[in-house]
Amino acid sequence: MVVLALNATEFIGRFHPILVHLPIGILILAVLFIALSLKEQFSYLKDAIGITLFLGMLSAIASCISGYLLSQSESYDPGLIFKHQWFAIALAASSIVLYVLHLMQKRLTWTAGLMAILLLITGHLGGSITHGSDFLFKESSAKNSKVKNENKPIANIQDGAAYATLIQPIFESKCIACHGLEKQKAKLRLDGPASILKGGEGGAAIVAGQAEQSALMKRILLAKDNKEHMPPAEKPQLTKEEIDIVEWWINGGASFDRKVSDIQQTDKIKRVFKSLSTDHSNDEVSLVDVPEASVSKASESAIQKLRERGITVVPVAQNSNYLLVNYVAIEAFTAKDLKLLQAINDQLIWLKLPNIALTDESIDELNQLTNLTRLYVQKTNLTDQGIAKLAKLSNLQYLNLSGTKATAKGVASISGLKNLRHLYLYQTAITDDELKKIRLELPKTNVDGGGYQVPKIEWDTAVSRAPIIK
Amino acid sequence: MRDDNQTRRLIKEAEQAMLQQYTRRHFLKDGAMGFGALALGSLLGNCWGNSGSKKLFDAANPLAARPPMFPGKAKSVIYLHMAGAPSQLELFSYKPELAKLDGLDCPPSLLEGKKFAFIRGVPKMLGPQAVFKQRGESGLWLSDNLPHLATVADDIAMLNAVTTEQFNHAPAQLLMHTGSARLGRPSIGSWVTYGMGTENNNLPGFVVLTSGGNNPDAGKSVWGSGFLPSVYQGVQCRSEGDPVLFIKDPKGMDRDLRKASIDAINKVNQEQYSEYNDPETLSRIAQYEMAYKMQISVPDVMNINDEPQYIHEMYGTQPGKTSFANNVLLARKLVEKGVRFVQLFDWGWDTHGDSAGNAVDIGLINKCRKVDRPITALLLDLKQRGLLDETLVVWGTEFGRTPMQENREGKKMPFKGRDHHAAAFNMWMAGGGIKGGTSYGVTDEIGYNIVSGKTEAYDIQATILNQLGFDHEKLTYESQGRNFRLTDLSGKVIKDILA
Repeated sequence: MVVLALNATEFIGRFHPILVHLPIGILILAVLFIALSLKEQFSYLKDAIGITLFLGMLSAIASCISGYLLSQSESYDPGLIFKHQWFAIALAASSIVLYVLHLMQKRLTWTAGLMAILLLITGHLGGSITHGSDFLFKESSAKNSKVKNENKPIANIQDGAAYATLIQPIFESKCIACHGLEKQKAKLRLDGPASILKGGEGGAAIVAGQAEQSALMKRILLAKDNKEHMPPAEKPQLTKEEIDIVEWWINGGASFDRKVSDIQQTDKIKRVFKSLSTDHSNDEVSLVDVPEASVSKASESAIQKLRERGITVVPVAQNSNYLLVNYVAIEAFTAKDLKLLQAINDQLIWLKLPNIALTDESIDELNQLTNLTRLYVQKTNLTDQGIAKLAKLSNLQYLNLSGTKATAKGVASISGLKNLRHLYLYQTAITDDELKKIRLELPKTNVDGGGYQVPKIEWDTAVSRAPIIK
Repeated sequence: MRDDNQTRRLIKEAEQAMLQQYTRRHFLKDGAMGFGALALGSLLGNCWGNSGSKKLFDAANPLAARPPMFPGKAKSVIYLHMAGAPSQLELFSYKPELAKLDGLDCPPSLLEGKKFAFIRGVPKMLGPQAVFKQRGESGLWLSDNLPHLATVADDIAMLNAVTTEQFNHAPAQLLMHTGSARLGRPSIGSWVTYGMGTENNNLPGFVVLTSGGNNPDAGKSVWGSGFLPSVYQGVQCRSEGDPVLFIKDPKGMDRDLRKASIDAINKVNQEQYSEYNDPETLSRIAQYEMAYKMQISVPDVMNINDEPQYIHEMYGTQPGKTSFANNVLLARKLVEKGVRFVQLFDWGWDTHGDSAGNAVDIGLINKCRKVDRPITALLLDLKQRGLLDETLVVWGTEFGRTPMQENREGKKMPFKGRDHHAAAFNMWMAGGGIKGGTSYGVTDEIGYNIVSGKTEAYDIQATILNQLGFDHEKLTYESQGRNFRLTDLSGKVIKDILA
């Protein structure tokens, strides 16, 4: 359909984005030649001015024609088009004048300067039409698009107006680049309630209450390789969640002022909202595992001493000086083995001391490990006394106390660890009631008491057999 | 006098043996080409960025822990492979439209130009032979054949549109694990241990456990090291009897004598190495030393008798037997001990419908009973031990099964079964920095083809490496004159399922 409807003028018009680069390049070159040839040492460039001007003039005229055809077949911001068109015509005219002056062997400098200025203005206006008038000065586009493409968590989804909190951001990030104030493809604008209701060339964009009848929804749902699909295949697409939200909003009456909670919600949309909401009390927060501050390289001899004891020491990444240390393979551990860590105080961030003869006293050796973010002391003889000493490790994000002698008292003594996000208390004497209390005290921490079971069900022991055929 | 002569003769022989190694060819090759290559190498050094492959391999200590390229979320991997290809249409892929087509002739449009392993002529469509429900807050569709897994659905990231090019077991398994359907490439566990070694040098870095009565069809190549040094191949352990064959010292040999004999062998190997400089010799020395240590450490870690009763009940394990459940519990123990990559294969999922045991409504369900509980227990147990965040669990297989009922040689089969289907099937991941409760990819209404979110073996491999802290395009090894990588020339990290 689309291909057939594409007539010759439209087709030529679409060459405009390619053609415009020719006069820009060639005419700049001509101005450069004119300026340089004033100098004695570049006087030979005079011979090239004629042909450069001639080609520049031809390409400027061709660009004007193709540009005019393009503006007829697509909808852009009429104000910008008007300016761009007349500056371009002035530019083409000035290039003709310049060529004629050249043929008459007259002085070119002033006219060339004027043309250069026209060239800059026309080019900038053209750029504004395709990339948006704020393109030059807005924040870096990578940064911008990242924020837009991610599903930004929204606090209290239910209390906001459906259009303002959910729909408008989607249209802004995915639609209005072509259906907004500046570009209005198919005469459709999605940048405000009135224009959304007005629809475009093909009539109404949305039918309130009937998503499946709405042209907007139909085009979003079409297969990506379909020519009618929106947004166009090469542009950022709506995510599955965004599609669900738009569908839900249209089905709910496409209201511009109703609150989210006032519109009927299916299970599906509830799940989408849940994934968008900021209420993930147990989720990983934006704490980084590896500190951003850089650190000097740990002494090679200190690392060697640890390794000789069968202790694994390894940088957390190839370009990092921060270290992971694991005592899992050590033979005959003594408290002395922890002293070895003092030489790598600054670098050590992840320390694994599982299943070794750790005592409350030996924890003193860890006092200086202030950069430590992950500490594994599971299956050790640690009691509340030793655990209380961990309160000094203020950067701890992960603490594994499972299989220790920890009690609620010991855990209370480390409640000041404000960065703690994961606390494991499996196989400790802590009761379920105490766990509930701990969770209240440490609202940001994922407190795992373990003790999970896989219940026995009848299905487990049943055996499926082939039916007996008589 | 005579002794003297003999000695002199021996020395002369030794000298000649040495000289034979330095022939004219060697001189020209080492000299001319060597210097030429040196010059070229320094000229082009910066163009061929990936000269790092040699640096990774420390022949004297090949399994020492090495830093990943960037701090990865996962420290270890447990890869559960259901060999034989379970039917996605009875487990994960909810296709109500297929039920409506049950018993109808397969439309020719689905058959044109297609090749099947066994289907001939026009097969009948076969509706789903299981009841599906949405599970957890995420609303993941899971069938009643996995009632326990359904309770942890929110921890799983489901890949709905996995696809492969291979519809025979062996090449499809090779593709999934080595990135090539042909023999000779290193397996993913080998790449991982090559890349980051292991944190416990008393145990192998890459352990393989099999169950279900058979090894996978692709044989041991599927955990082989290919062109990587052989120290990186998977070490197959058994959950019944001695965990590794011949791990006990023979009668009359005590531990000191064993140590002395290994030291002597290593000394000879060391001399061999100083003469030939073959890194494989150093690997061999390291392997002898590890074998000596493993004689103590492996029987210890491979013993599930000391696990408490409630853990046995949770996993459904029976000590002393070979079972998938035992292997899953062992996998947890190994990961707890710092083993980097644990690969499980469970054989017997090839549900063609040629027998009751191979029927999607009979044998498949019995198979599910053997894996559903231990896999669920594994996820919960890792979670309570604080290990799920850093242990990537992958559930996979080599391909899927057709929405048509198999009609081997054009005849009706005695039971309901499905043929091999390469175009679309399911896999899932959990833990290790994967976002639970997500799903990725969509297949058509009958699960025949992929609609979006196409996921190839390479993408899964790239994602596993990414979670461990590796850029799959940069973890390379030079072989036969070029740098190879696990994902060959493809692979993209499945970002949609990352936390």
